[in-house]
Amino acid sequence: MDKFSLIGKNMRRVDTTSKATGEAIFSADLVLPRMLVGKVLRSPHPHAKILNIDTSGAEKLPGVMAVVTAKDTCGDKWGVFRYTQDQQFLPTEKVRYVGEEVAAVSAIDEDTALEALELINVEYEKLPAVFSVEASLMPNAPIIHDAYPNNINIHVKIDVGDVEKGFQESFYVREDSFSAPEDSYFQAEPYAVVAQFDHSGNLEIWMPNAGPHLKAKPLSNVLKIPLNKVRVRKIRIGGAFGGRSEISPADTICALLARKSQRPVKIVYSREENSICTRQAHSMNATIKTGVDKEGRVIARDITCHMDGGAYSSTGPIAVSVPFLCMEQAYRMDNVRYNGYRIFTNKPIRGMFRTHGRAFACGVDLQLDMIGEHLGINPLEMRLRNARQKGDYTPTKSYVASCGMSETIQKTGEMSKWNEKWGKLPPYHGIGIGCNSVQTGFPMGIRGGSQAFIKFNEEGGITVISGVVDNGQGNDHMLIQIAAEELGLSANDVQLINADTEVTPSDPGSYSMCETFVGGNAVRLAAQDAKKKLFKYAASALKVDCSVLDARDKKIFVKDSPDQNISMSKVVRMALSRGEAISGEGSYWPKVDPKREWVENPSGQLSETFSFGTVIVEVTVDPETGQVKVLEAWASQDVGYALNPIVIEGQFEGGLAMGGQGGMLTEFHIWNDGRVLNPTQLDYKVPLAIDMPKINNIIVETIDPNGPYGAKEAGMSIAMSAAQAYCGAICNAIGVYMNDFPLTPDKILKAIEEKDTK
Amino acid sequence: MEKTTKRIVKLTVNKEIHEVAINVNRTLLEVLREELALTGAKESCGQGVCGSCTVLLDGLPVRSCLLLAVEAEGRHITTIEGLSCGEKLHPLQDAFVEHHAIQCGFCSPGMILTASAFLEKNPSPTEDEIRRALSGNICRCTGYAKIIGAVKALVDSGR
Repeated sequence: MDKFSLIGKNMRRVDTTSKATGEAIFSADLVLPRMLVGKVLRSPHPHAKILNIDTSGAEKLPGVMAVVTAKDTCGDKWGVFRYTQDQQFLPTEKVRYVGEEVAAVSAIDEDTALEALELINVEYEKLPAVFSVEASLMPNAPIIHDAYPNNINIHVKIDVGDVEKGFQESFYVREDSFSAPEDSYFQAEPYAVVAQFDHSGNLEIWMPNAGPHLKAKPLSNVLKIPLNKVRVRKIRIGGAFGGRSEISPADTICALLARKSQRPVKIVYSREENSICTRQAHSMNATIKTGVDKEGRVIARDITCHMDGGAYSSTGPIAVSVPFLCMEQAYRMDNVRYNGYRIFTNKPIRGMFRTHGRAFACGVDLQLDMIGEHLGINPLEMRLRNARQKGDYTPTKSYVASCGMSETIQKTGEMSKWNEKWGKLPPYHGIGIGCNSVQTGFPMGIRGGSQAFIKFNEEGGITVISGVVDNGQGNDHMLIQIAAEELGLSANDVQLINADTEVTPSDPGSYSMCETFVGGNAVRLAAQDAKKKLFKYAASALKVDCSVLDARDKKIFVKDSPDQNISMSKVVRMALSRGEAISGEGSYWPKVDPKREWVENPSGQLSETFSFGTVIVEVTVDPETGQVKVLEAWASQDVGYALNPIVIEGQFEGGLAMGGQGGMLTEFHIWNDGRVLNPTQLDYKVPLAIDMPKINNIIVETIDPNGPYGAKEAGMSIAMSAAQAYCGAICNAIGVYMNDFPLTPDKILKAIEEKDTK
Repeated sequence: MEKTTKRIVKLTVNKEIHEVAINVNRTLLEVLREELALTGAKESCGQGVCGSCTVLLDGLPVRSCLLLAVEAEGRHITTIEGLSCGEKLHPLQDAFVEHHAIQCGFCSPGMILTASAFLEKNPSPTEDEIRRALSGNICRCTGYAKIIGAVKALVDSGR
């Protein structure tokens, strides 16, 4: 008999049948009685004082039910951290980017709402604006927030070991700079919110989110209503990819409109609004100086990054730190200095994105290739020599409890036949490798842990209650699979209530890759708690000790004598007849250093465990057109343990598409003075089916000592390392190291031309 | 803004006839979603690029965000809700679930309808033909591998 009945097996996800039939309801699909349409008026200027807003014309239009401006808000500035409180959801003083929310209306239909927006008269006084990190840091640059002199929003400084001494002792030192413009989430589902208030002051709200509790508390703060009256409801979510974790202005505005109208209101963003007015990924310049010994082992590294943060802080301290932290996890580096700056500009707001910092990640890896070339060491060997190992501490003092970095490098190398290909491929045909590592959560204060409840019905079926949210990656199924496995049930015996802040306990949210590790562990503990109670009754019925019992196929049986068994339903009924309802409670708090802080104290256990991934890709480049054709990809990640392998493969493949195929070949925003010129699906090029290469998935399992069944996280190391592998392969194909990403045909042709004229 | 006049339009959707009073400037997508509560068709790009709003018009895939509802009068419209038959899933829906071709699921209705029209026309396609046929439908989650795999598995099974 297999050790597990469900864990480790390919399972049909519980949520996907409803998605195949059109039955699944997303926020924009929701219809409530008497519901109104909400629309938002946005700033046409990148930087301007708001002198006056006249809403009288809009208010008089028949069919308009409410108009809201800053006057309807408490005026507080909100921020993720106490030191980043800089954003009013309807600004009182000035606008800071083209597209910022200024006012909003609710009306009986869309046409009326749009007409009403045209009747709102806003008087602005235009201010000088800045659209790049360089311009923003000039001595006379306009100041975007008074509280941030020089427009420096965040400075993360990490200095470990003795970097200067490390360089002195190095055999070879080089410094290179890399850059990449903004990229975007382009979730399939454009942002949408539905809100309704009742006359008791209770708010019900639905929106795509990566953490319902992370939405509820800020909503309570800015609306000045108690947390128990904010009820973020569960709804299907069309992707997040690191976005949708924070409260959005649309959430607040929709709630304000619903309260003022005393009717439900729905706001559905257009694709353009989703691109410009939710979040984008940061643009970045990274200067990386690395010193190595004769064998290519990194002795010292000094990195300076400047990230364009746009107009507000958002999750800035995290976004500045994570690119570095991923790399300090992936590779050993004893002496390291990191100066990460997030700079305000008059551009849309930037948040955390699945492929954190292309310029940084690709820069570190590409530089390893350059160093390897100088030393005569091949890139795969360079990575093996620097790979993080189990039992290490990272420079910022995180213990690495499990680590398959080297194994992922070796396995992708073997399967791709790296050694037979490296240096032996014909011109314009290349192969590249990238490695990276991702956290499974990070310190989040009182929000860092997850709690779960389980209750049994008299037939032996259960309901699991958890705060974990599913953005599309399969978290709902993961919870059900764990609870069913632990209690000897099938997925069909389990109902799930989750991602609803009224019913479910607190949870950190899905954006930090912690849901399997933290939320999954909580559900497992709740199931074990319920199991203990079941076994007490079963043991007395079977006249054995609890310790000899196990549960499977809805029965509780004696391990060495399975014929001695009792059905789950009988045990539950026995308990009920004696006045006890069977339930379970579990709570999991990851062992992280609570004193660790992004800016003040970037040291201590960051995450209880880490995933490690390697991607290799093989490409050809057409020297006439600069077009890249990706022949094949090999993706490997140490996931701890694969709970549902087919779901993990899906994460690998999706990560490779977004990080590599899109992130390194086609995806970037283009600008004209703070205006995004390609906010639409037609102009921003995400990968299509025809673009994608064959992907070979290699799942590496290191059985993490504390993950549920040894599991960690699925796929984010792939998304990041894919960008690096694509980058290395293209540079290898054309014989030029390029330093401005993504690698579009125009840049590739220019690089080939420059190389040929040398 | 001048209000357009409403017109009674007779639409045949999933073999049922609906008479709806609509402004003539309403797209088929809006009418399906707002008047007939058929929300399986999604708006993602709003400009006919992504394929999330795909429905079948006389068996052929169209972008319902680019088509006025009045233009669909007298034609047979199939939405994702009409693909399954009672409790029984269409073989493609079943294949998409079985082979994990669905993650967030926002693109799935359009993807499945496009695939079903394609297989009607070409019941035994090569993998490359499947890729081409589905390249007008954008998926941000899956990297397409499992979607292509699901269609291929169905073709190979001969169902």
